[in-house]
Amino acid sequence: MLRFLLTLFYGFALWAGCAVAAESAPAVAPGRAQLLAALLAPPAEQVAAIRGLVGVEDAAITPALTAWRAGELYLVPLPDGSRVPATLAPAPNGGEQLVALSVLDGTAIPDPAAAPGSATPLLIAPKSLKPLDTTAPLRRAMRDVLEVAGVADPSPSVRRESIERLGQSRKPEHLPLLQARLVIEKSPVVRTALADAIAFIQLADSSHTVRLAAIAALGEAHSLAAASRFKELLAATPPPPPDETAALTAALKKIESHWKTVNFFGDLFRGLSAGSVLLLIALGLAITFGLMGVINMAHGELMVVGAYSTFVVQNLFVSVFGATSTAFHFYFIAALPVAFVAAALVGLALERGIIQFLYKRPLESLLATWGVSLALQQTFRLVFGPANVQINAPAWLQGSAALNDVLFAYNRLFVIGFAALVVFGVWLALNRTSLGLLVRAVMQNRQMASCIGVRATRVNMCTFAFGSGLAGLAGACLSQLGNVGPGMGQLHIIDSFMVVVSGGVGNVLGSVVASLGIGTVDQLLQPILGAVIGKVLVPFAIILFLQWRPGGLFPTRSRSLD
Amino acid sequence: MLKKIAQTLGLGAFALGAFATTTLRAEDTVKVGVLHSLSGTMAISETSLRDVLLFTFDEINAKGGVLGKKIEPVVVDGASNWPLFAEKAKQLLEQDKTAVTFGCWTSVSRKSVLPVFEKNNGLLFYPVQYEGEELSKNIFYTAEAVGQQATPGVDYLLNELGKKKFYLLGSDYVYPRTTNLVLKEYLASKGIPESAIIEKYTPFGHTDYQQIVAEIKQFGASGDAAVVSTLNGDTNVPFFRELANAGIKSEDIPVISFSVSEDEFRGLPTKDLVGHLGAWSYFMSVDTPANDKFKKDFFAWIEKSTVPGIEKKGRVTNSPMVLSYVGVYLWKAAVEKAGTFEVDAVRAALESGVSFDGPGGKVTMQKNHHITKNVYIGETLADGQFKILKSYEGVYGEPFLKGTFGKK
Repeated sequence: MLRFLLTLFYGFALWAGCAVAAESAPAVAPGRAQLLAALLAPPAEQVAAIRGLVGVEDAAITPALTAWRAGELYLVPLPDGSRVPATLAPAPNGGEQLVALSVLDGTAIPDPAAAPGSATPLLIAPKSLKPLDTTAPLRRAMRDVLEVAGVADPSPSVRRESIERLGQSRKPEHLPLLQARLVIEKSPVVRTALADAIAFIQLADSSHTVRLAAIAALGEAHSLAAASRFKELLAATPPPPPDETAALTAALKKIESHWKTVNFFGDLFRGLSAGSVLLLIALGLAITFGLMGVINMAHGELMVVGAYSTFVVQNLFVSVFGATSTAFHFYFIAALPVAFVAAALVGLALERGIIQFLYKRPLESLLATWGVSLALQQTFRLVFGPANVQINAPAWLQGSAALNDVLFAYNRLFVIGFAALVVFGVWLALNRTSLGLLVRAVMQNRQMASCIGVRATRVNMCTFAFGSGLAGLAGACLSQLGNVGPGMGQLHIIDSFMVVVSGGVGNVLGSVVASLGIGTVDQLLQPILGAVIGKVLVPFAIILFLQWRPGGLFPTRSRSLD
Repeated sequence: MLKKIAQTLGLGAFALGAFATTTLRAEDTVKVGVLHSLSGTMAISETSLRDVLLFTFDEINAKGGVLGKKIEPVVVDGASNWPLFAEKAKQLLEQDKTAVTFGCWTSVSRKSVLPVFEKNNGLLFYPVQYEGEELSKNIFYTAEAVGQQATPGVDYLLNELGKKKFYLLGSDYVYPRTTNLVLKEYLASKGIPESAIIEKYTPFGHTDYQQIVAEIKQFGASGDAAVVSTLNGDTNVPFFRELANAGIKSEDIPVISFSVSEDEFRGLPTKDLVGHLGAWSYFMSVDTPANDKFKKDFFAWIEKSTVPGIEKKGRVTNSPMVLSYVGVYLWKAAVEKAGTFEVDAVRAALESGVSFDGPGGKVTMQKNHHITKNVYIGETLADGQFKILKSYEGVYGEPFLKGTFGKK
């Protein structure tokens, strides 16, 4: 009976809403009067008054209740004793005072003391009014009203969210509203949400066939929310009838197997993305340590140089174009070459200043570069401060795409693509350019190369700068994933050595395979063992692996390392 | 000038000069220790506490000091090095003979100085949220106990938001693990089954939250789940960034964080945190005349301060700072009540229940060395402030919560 009445009520409300919209706005719409009554009602009656607004269509209801729920609604007293519900906004002339915008029509309340007909708005001193109180039951009532109103919201994402919530509340009285919406809804995403929500409510339908159809529909939709509900239903006493139990079990199985597949591909993607991050941070080292044999403990700080370059470019873009401009979102593209060049220059200075004297003394180069790393860290602290700096991701690196329920975050996709590009670039540079030929010659046998006229010192210099530049690129990418601070390099230096050593020193391809392998194993182990044990197990596994194959995956014979 | 001398004393650089000044000033000053990390990893957080303590001493000295004596701060640097904390505590108690010490942030630093304070019968005020399960006769905990932050936070999720599933995520150390142990018992007492709780930890400096966020998204698909986060420091950046990228909104799966305050927002992309929750006994946005005055005076002091290396830009106030501030005033009230600086008498006065109207509301010292205080639940705004959604007034501080909920 109640349901019937409510249906009738909804129908009436919809009709009334349409009628109001069709006529040229009357002085006070019935919905608005009801809203005003609810706002001014004594506290004890407010919950019931708000619940009365469910399904009433009026443009003022959503903004008024949203503001009230957020504690931003005020009752502005007027000299004639009446009170007007309003939100407060800064006055247009920029003074301390605030103007009151009536929630009923969105216009500023005129000052009653001013001459009639003048447009002087009423000014209110800040903190002179207390916002209208809210309590948990009130907010819950407001939420119910807003959810029902949200079904007809112009924004599809608001519609979808409201519909999902209505479905999860499983209240049969919302069924007619949702079904009516399904007839006129055009957005495919919202339509799916509607179908799911309707099926969800129908799980408790009195008709056996409707229930079975709803179970099948939810199973087909792979709804995770339904899976937990199905489990509750199966565990309930008394248990559902046998054919329903069978349908529930079948649907549950379908959902679970779907999500198992989703998680498998998700894990693969996450492994690939974790591997790409490792690859980017190790690639520079694969050149400076792998090919040149320099144990560079300051490699991490070269990455930090790249990350801070990104920060500087970002700030430059903000000051030149402004933080909200479209140009801002391309700062990252500009930051990549800057990061490469900055880190390459620091690497160049490092090679010229220290490392060139230590090619024959690897242990001393380890100590010297460690010292450099500490000095660089302190420099970052002095220049940029000890706290982390904020880097905002450009819009095109935020969010994610979903393909068959597997999420692909844009920043992760970017890192994977970028890592592939950099690997390809390194391969081209080493194998398809004359400089690459010289590099390989010097790395294989420095003295012989010098004998036949290769300027070995210059080649060393360029190779080291190139490796450092790659570290800078890695730093720029990391700035989109994690923190940028003076100590950031220390977090990654172990990982990068781990990759290069297990891949085989002196072999870039080894680093590629090792990083992807370590990344995938780490991500596959994480859901089973947790992040902490994973952090312990992966290096342990690498140690065992190196016991078995001391040269790494692809051992190379190179004179410089013998 | 006085402050300069005090610093010189604190650094112990000129022992002879220090000796001369102490004998000169011994009559009209009282030495108070400040034991925080001013270098190393914890310096980012702890330096703010040193600043607020020095401000409080100046404020009290300007009004005539304590029992007519001016406070003479002795600032030492624990350098984020836990054994060094114990050495510095020893120096403060045995060499400088400080009447009281304000300090420590991490639980491990507190644990390492605890035996030193007990042996020398010293007095330490500890201001940072912690896991409880400790009660020393020489330490007063102005900090939030688990019952003054985590359980009210979970109450809010249960009662106001109607959440039924909980994902407990923390950094891997003692505070998150103990807090979650208590929370699991608390949730069980509220009828939440074990199957509706997931507990996960990540190492310090963890940057890859892909797996965790994917799991949260599926866990929260039913719309009645929330994340309770005790993630520490900058690991929050990759976590919240990943969360935002996965399209998880605070309306669907809210995250309540217990280790992110206004001070931490200085290094976080606040845009990704908007709408998520925090629970503290003080927010900078608390709208009371006492808080307005505190903020105004503190920022004015920062502006004028000549402390070397003090950060002047973008300063905020947060709960640990305010709990340091009220700690000093509670001690002052107790000293005035006892009429002496003698530790045993001051302790007795503190235990008798002194009160102070602080920026976050009234606080009262309890017999068990914790304080009764207000607890606020707030929602993060885009400018790195909290909007207060709910306040719990006069929450009792109870350090030993483990095992108490099951018995009810």
